[in-house]
Amino acid sequence: MESFHYSQFSQEYSNVHIALFTNVTNATELRNRLVQASTMSGPEGDAERQAVDFAFIDATLICSTLHLKSAILNSVLAQAQGALRTKTVHSEILWNLNPTNNISEAIRRYGVSSSTTSLLVVRIGRPGDPATVQMQMSAVVSGDLSPTSRLAGITDWARVKKYYKILQQIDADPQKDIQRVHEIVVSSVSMKSVIV
Amino acid sequence: MNPESSSTPTQRLISRATLVSQGAEAAIYKGELHPPPIYPVPSGNRDHDSEPVLIKYRFHKQYRHPTLDASLTKSRVAGEARAIGRCLRAGVNVPGIRMVDLQEGVLAIEWINGKSVRFLLGGGAEGEEEVDEVHGDVVESEETDEAEEDPLKGYNITQDDIMQLIGTEIAKMHEADIIHGDLTTSNMMLRPPSAPDKSSELVLIDFGLAYTSTLVEDKAVDLYVLERAFASTHPASEPLFASVLKAYERQAGKDWKAISRRLDDVRLRGRKRSMVG
Ligand SMILES: Nc1ncnc2c1ncn2[C@@H]1O[C@H](COP(=O)(O)OP(=O)(O)OP(=O)(O)O)[C@@H](O)[C@H]1O
Ligand SMILES: [Mg+2]
Repeated sequence: MESFHYSQFSQEYSNVHIALFTNVTNATELRNRLVQASTMSGPEGDAERQAVDFAFIDATLICSTLHLKSAILNSVLAQAQGALRTKTVHSEILWNLNPTNNISEAIRRYGVSSSTTSLLVVRIGRPGDPATVQMQMSAVVSGDLSPTSRLAGITDWARVKKYYKILQQIDADPQKDIQRVHEIVVSSVSMKSVIV
Repeated sequence: MNPESSSTPTQRLISRATLVSQGAEAAIYKGELHPPPIYPVPSGNRDHDSEPVLIKYRFHKQYRHPTLDASLTKSRVAGEARAIGRCLRAGVNVPGIRMVDLQEGVLAIEWINGKSVRFLLGGGAEGEEEVDEVHGDVVESEETDEAEEDPLKGYNITQDDIMQLIGTEIAKMHEADIIHGDLTTSNMMLRPPSAPDKSSELVLIDFGLAYTSTLVEDKAVDLYVLERAFASTHPASEPLFASVLKAYERQAGKDWKAISRRLDDVRLRGRKRSMVG
């Protein structure tokens, strides 16, 4: 897990924690748990929602940490400006990752599904002990906590291209083509407020 | 105004950035969007996405009505971002987009490590022009500069190669029906090779006046604007610009004929206009 302090934002949401889990074995349970938490009532419901108060993202659709951080930056900015388009700053990340305006599509594509085995977990919140956050993450995800640098080998470029409607090859050199695709995706996320 | 206590995140971001240039429409800063990690404590040279960005801030114009100003600013920032986005998809070399804040009139884009073509052709850096004109001595000061150091050192490229890159990049942009609207040698940068086996890349910048159009006329005018810019900033520009057009022709293929013919028309109109005064 890595933690960052975005000092331009107010304390409530200045700290960002990002963890990559590989070999995840409880995706189905986690998905069900998220669905249930959203409808549970009473103090039990509050406690459950707090336990899963993260953004859970299918890591195979993320091209780089810059890609993810671009969506995070948009989301915190929207929070600060009172301009969230979804319920929470965490669901806003999923909305920012998806090129369309459809939130349920964003969750279906970029959230946890029963087939997810690589998961990015994000918490946006107050400054606090990173070790505690990491423990809270590990309490809900069964899998191997891995350095985010391992993302590079996980990305499913074909699906990324499909969602972003990048249909043709942009550069004859395959390595450069991937760089171009990466740039289109990062830029598209960064200009999300302009394209929808 | 005390920037640190000023109200918005984007204002705080700007207050920590370095002012690069101050224009009538926008202020340009070099800054950072993403901080290095606080946990685990960084071990030194790890990549932490803190590559610099260029922040273009279209500040509030006192002389405009506030509502009109806000909506004009929004549409300009959005327009510039969209044009860059379209270029990226068409494979045109442009800086990537890193943040858009319509409310604040801010566009953050990838920082290009390199120099403007204007500078590399010995036309001086942006802003040096005025100084040279005061001394009435443009040519001589350039010669001394060149004698000191070749500006193309480290780029592994000739002037003529640069002209070809320019022609190719503009043709790719026009092929995608994007009109730049302000083609000058200041609005193109050369990015030096990222590794010994790589080559320099020409990057088009400043899409503040860009728009989309399929019209041959608009593409021809775009080229004409650049031709005039070459003539006014670079001595002996004709062979240089001819090389730009050659490469444009190669890239544009069958589209070239109509654009070339229209460019001749535009030149003729330009000359007539200047004769009338
Ligand atoms: N992505 C970039 N990376 C590094 N430097 C840049 C970048 N974009 C622009 N610059 C530098 O900043 C200057 C101003 O940028 P730009 O032309 O986009 O702004 P502008 O407000 O339209 O300025 P002007 O009115 O002078 O054209 C450029 O001439 C160039 O030297
Ligand atoms: Mg400019």
